[in-house]
Amino acid sequence: MNLSLRKDDGFFLLLAAGVLLFTGAAQPPSWYLYLLLLALPGIVLYVTRTWNDRVFYILCAGQPLVIALAAAQVWAGLFAVWMLAGIVLAALGMLEPGGDLPAYAAFCGATLVIATGIDASAHVLLPLLITGGLTAVFVLVFTVREYRFRKQYRGAPP
Amino acid sequence: MRLKRCAQGISLLVILLFACAFILDDPAVLLAGTTLLAGLCGLGYSFDRRFRQAVASVRLERSLERAVVRTGSTVRVATAITLQVPSHIQVTVSEILPAGVVVQDGKTAASSGTSPSFETYRFAYRITPLVHGTMHFSGITLVAQDHFFEDRVVLSAEPFRGPALSVQPRGLFEPTGRGLTSETREIEKMAVLSGLGVRALREYYVGDDLRRIDWKLTAKHNKLFIREYAGVVNPPPLIVVDLPWRGASYPADAFARMVAAVAGMVEHSTKMYQHSTVLLISGPNILHFMVEEKDLQRSISALREWMHPVERTAHFYRMADRSDLRSRVRALEIQSGRTQDPSTQKFLGLVKKQYLRSLGVHQTHAFNAQVGRTLSPLTVDEVYVFSLVAGDSSHLVQLIRQAKAMKLRVHVRTPQLPDPVSSPVSPGRLGADTVEAFA
Repeated sequence: MNLSLRKDDGFFLLLAAGVLLFTGAAQPPSWYLYLLLLALPGIVLYVTRTWNDRVFYILCAGQPLVIALAAAQVWAGLFAVWMLAGIVLAALGMLEPGGDLPAYAAFCGATLVIATGIDASAHVLLPLLITGGLTAVFVLVFTVREYRFRKQYRGAPP
Repeated sequence: MRLKRCAQGISLLVILLFACAFILDDPAVLLAGTTLLAGLCGLGYSFDRRFRQAVASVRLERSLERAVVRTGSTVRVATAITLQVPSHIQVTVSEILPAGVVVQDGKTAASSGTSPSFETYRFAYRITPLVHGTMHFSGITLVAQDHFFEDRVVLSAEPFRGPALSVQPRGLFEPTGRGLTSETREIEKMAVLSGLGVRALREYYVGDDLRRIDWKLTAKHNKLFIREYAGVVNPPPLIVVDLPWRGASYPADAFARMVAAVAGMVEHSTKMYQHSTVLLISGPNILHFMVEEKDLQRSISALREWMHPVERTAHFYRMADRSDLRSRVRALEIQSGRTQDPSTQKFLGLVKKQYLRSLGVHQTHAFNAQVGRTLSPLTVDEVYVFSLVAGDSSHLVQLIRQAKAMKLRVHVRTPQLPDPVSSPVSPGRLGADTVEAFA
């Protein structure tokens, strides 16, 4: 019997340990809700093992838990985001040696900044506007880069 | 860059989360949406970086069998593309072919796996230009995709472009005032009495024919020598294969049987006569001519390369030559003499006038001239024509007429025996000596 642990399962176990620690420490009145929401990505992770687009289902299944944890404590929600990202990258095989570990670290850093900003803001409108503006700038820069890239390789007509 | 289904779903989820966050004014929902968006942007940036690495690593070499060809001929193209395939990305490279050419066979695209590797793709294919002019190979297309994104770039800058293929026009008709076979009797032809040639000389043995003694050699060496004469065999047949047009449906099982029959005929000819001669045509287009090939393996390789439906640059449809038109004029005259109805007579007269007008400007089709030039230097007695006879068979009629004019016996091999009365490929209509079904 093969008992080797896959990386996505490892991240899920870390997520489960974090949620249990949080419910044990904070002792929220509806503690069972977190356990139920934790079971959802676990079931999806198991059921979709052979599916092609499983990362989408895992992300969808993880969002209720992220929202529930972030509603109680932003940093707990951020921890769930990191673990979900780990599960997704591991499921895609991007955390293998020589893979995208620096990209994962960069994602964790960026989401830390985002969580700090949201935690500091009492309302949604301002962070939402900032996010929209940054996304527009990202898309604009990306479009210009892509245009220059294509122009470089297209060459002049014969 | 295009979002694939997975990324489209995540984008939709982000929009829903943002809408909910705005309506509920809930930072927790905003956190979920913003982190998802950040992850998607990060994946997009990572994909784009790896895609650029792959594009920057592309090296290409392309060579043509010939740089100058005529319309309808076939050119072999060899392309080697080397590139670094990044991790978790599947790359597909494909040739951008010039407009006005069709690929006869071979591969013009290939895909990599998703593991990082240094790949070299070799494309070997044959193209047939359908129009004349200078044609440029304008580069390659590189498509990369992972679970979330797909991107496509056309590499048509200088290192990926070229070489140019110069395609000279080929007329449908022969220039007037030029004989069909005026240039075709210049090659050396096998002597009719070659069977009298001496193959070897040996000492006399008791029982040898005394008429075969070589007296000069006998006198020189003071003992009897015998001439051994070369044997005489019939010249091998010319095998003509009429390949089906790619633009129309054809019976695949009959074609497979025809391939087997042609291969068997070539093998028989090579074993029996020490060589085989095969002419490959498709409609009124001569594709390839294999003259007296002695190596059976090379013959079979050539057949394997060519035996498939091909693109036709020229088509015949109920093509009539001068003798056909004259016979129709005669038939109209007879019919007109028999009828009493003035309107029918007027109609027949108009048709006859059209035929006579066509006769006045009638030109020899290039196919007829090519067939004439191909057949005339050959030393053959028989021609075997393999054809599916799918669609118009005017080109077969023209070919068989040329062969019959050179006193060759023509045997047509078709998938099934035709009806001797109604079939358009009956021996009488085609002009062949025999029409048989191949096994």
